[in-house]
Amino acid sequence: MSLRIGIPRALLYYRYFPFWKTFFETLGFEVVVSRPSHWGIIERGFKFADDDTCIPMKMAFAHTIDIKDRIDLLFLPRLLSVDGKTCSCPRLAGLPEMLKYSMSGLPAILDPYVDERHRNSSLFHSFSEMALALGKSPKEIKQAFQKAESAYELIQKRMEGGEKLPDLFEDVGKKNQTSQRDLSRKKIAVVGHAYCLYDPFFNFDLLRILEEAHASVYTQERVPKEVIDSEIREFGKDIYWDSGREILGASLHFLRSSEMEGLIYLTCFSCGVDSMIEPLVRHRAAENGKTLYLCLMIDEHTGATGVLTRMEAFIDLLERRRRRR
Amino acid sequence: MKLTVPYLGHIDIFLNAMARKIGPEFVFPPKTSSRTLLLGTKYSPESACLPFKFILGNFIEALEKGADTIAMITDHGPCRVGMYDVVMQQILKDLGFQFDWIAMDDTRILGDYLLRFNRERKKRGVSLWESLQAIRFSWKKVKLSESVERMAQKARPLEVKRGETTRVLTDSLRWIDEASNFRELSQTHQQCLEKFNRIEKDDTQNPPKVLITGEGYMVINPHANQDIERRLGEMGVEVARTVWFTTQITHALHLDLFNPKSKRKAIKASEPYLKHNLGGECNASIGYPILFKKEGYEGVIQLLPFGCMLEAVAKNILVKVSREYDLPILTFSLSENLSETMIDTRLGAFVDLLQQRRGRKRNR
Ligand code: SF4
Repeated sequence: MSLRIGIPRALLYYRYFPFWKTFFETLGFEVVVSRPSHWGIIERGFKFADDDTCIPMKMAFAHTIDIKDRIDLLFLPRLLSVDGKTCSCPRLAGLPEMLKYSMSGLPAILDPYVDERHRNSSLFHSFSEMALALGKSPKEIKQAFQKAESAYELIQKRMEGGEKLPDLFEDVGKKNQTSQRDLSRKKIAVVGHAYCLYDPFFNFDLLRILEEAHASVYTQERVPKEVIDSEIREFGKDIYWDSGREILGASLHFLRSSEMEGLIYLTCFSCGVDSMIEPLVRHRAAENGKTLYLCLMIDEHTGATGVLTRMEAFIDLLERRRRRR
Repeated sequence: MKLTVPYLGHIDIFLNAMARKIGPEFVFPPKTSSRTLLLGTKYSPESACLPFKFILGNFIEALEKGADTIAMITDHGPCRVGMYDVVMQQILKDLGFQFDWIAMDDTRILGDYLLRFNRERKKRGVSLWESLQAIRFSWKKVKLSESVERMAQKARPLEVKRGETTRVLTDSLRWIDEASNFRELSQTHQQCLEKFNRIEKDDTQNPPKVLITGEGYMVINPHANQDIERRLGEMGVEVARTVWFTTQITHALHLDLFNPKSKRKAIKASEPYLKHNLGGECNASIGYPILFKKEGYEGVIQLLPFGCMLEAVAKNILVKVSREYDLPILTFSLSENLSETMIDTRLGAFVDLLQQRRGRKRNR
């Protein structure tokens, strides 16, 4: 029987899952993902995690509890820096320890460490070390890694083209059905950490609400990397957080484009990265004035009705603006 | 130029001494008060961490007092302190203040600083020799300030008259600040020693020893952490702390090789628990308790300001350290709305716990 490798449906799952899945499956492992978030799962994690952390981290605790008894190995990579320049939020880097020391009965943890800001650390290197230790040959590993890279790139391309997570993940080959070429649709940009945007349980299905209100939703993945780079260059401050940099760059780009009618920054209470990036986006949005801006902060007391009402109000306002024009 | 900087222990004494010898002029914000925090909280993003709010409040008060240039350390993550400069500048400008901002990059500390310093020095026509003397003098002052603070940490739990140590400490720091040359400074030193010796003490006591660790700004600035050291001292506890002005500077300049309790050694000690250095004080916060336990410290208080990501990671790991070293560790979450009674109650409960442990050991 092949080893079962568990991936919590949380945090970086929402970005790198296609990569990880392809890598492990090509090497002959079985990949087990925790079930989609629902209250039953999440509640248990919230009891475990402490109050000084953010909701996405607490959700990672919950998803770990959900799979820990069904797997042989728990996969929690530490991707401190994968591009040699930016770095991840420190909470993400400390996740394996935080989990290890606050709950018992965890399977062994695979935590390849990647910090490409240092010369002798690279994604490939860490992943091969991990797979070598699991008894795979260098040749197999290399093939699996290449395959994983192209799977990841494919997903990135498709997201740039407008397809959305997480439907994409479930079945890497599935074609996107909804075409959004309808010109009467309102264009709304939504930015935030991938795990905030794409976990419908976390955001009360925000993206669906918007689409049902006849909006075309643009997320930061639509903005090509080069555009983000040039926006940040022009902004003049080198943002060192990978996610923060992307969110700020994409927001600046959306605010610049004359087509975007609204911009929503989706964030969670006590996110350190957002606490510094959101004020910058808000300021730009106010200066520019033509895009309607909303910061939607989710905390533990946020309810579905609250989000729905705020979205309705936001869309109303957009429509009124349209009519005035 | 009227310069202001964020509080970092006795940096005010250091910079005052420099300013009097070679300039530039410094404007210090008033010590952190409830008004500081009120201002900081009002104008900061809601989710900003507590040190952000304090420092923003400090800057507003310094600008009100006439400062026109702000200098502050910056870095490249992962802690958000490296983002303070853009966000704070934006907030302060929106409030209508005009000022220059000097971001001192911690990775280029030697190059950046020294070049700038040299330029400023030449502009003011100060000789290199004078400058070096001024630095030496100012450094000596801070060293002395820190050593009187250590004396106070030792004396306070033994004092017979409540508050006497704190009074002596305040006087001593003022004298140190006022000393204008090396000779005066060594006289002041003698004077401080005498004063501390003359504090009436109950030497029969054997006070429990507690280490204060955690986020740097909160540990180093008693006015920001609600005087936790004094409170503990007055509850009969001998206190030590992990972060000092001089240790931060020597660490940044790699000059602390021979210090047995340097930040570097603390980071090393944390390795079995956290393999990689996450930055900030995170690893040191985990390592210091281990170093101090070996010296007979009986308890640790970790200061975790609201929103601090690194200390929140450390908190979870300290649970493990506490278990393995049989060392009680209290994580003290600090937020804007922490009342004095709440603080005293929590500290009191912790001190009781330490006393009980002693009792149990004795009975065994
Ligand atoms: S980036 Fe924000 S939301 Fe994500 S783990 Fe860090 S603090 Fe939490």
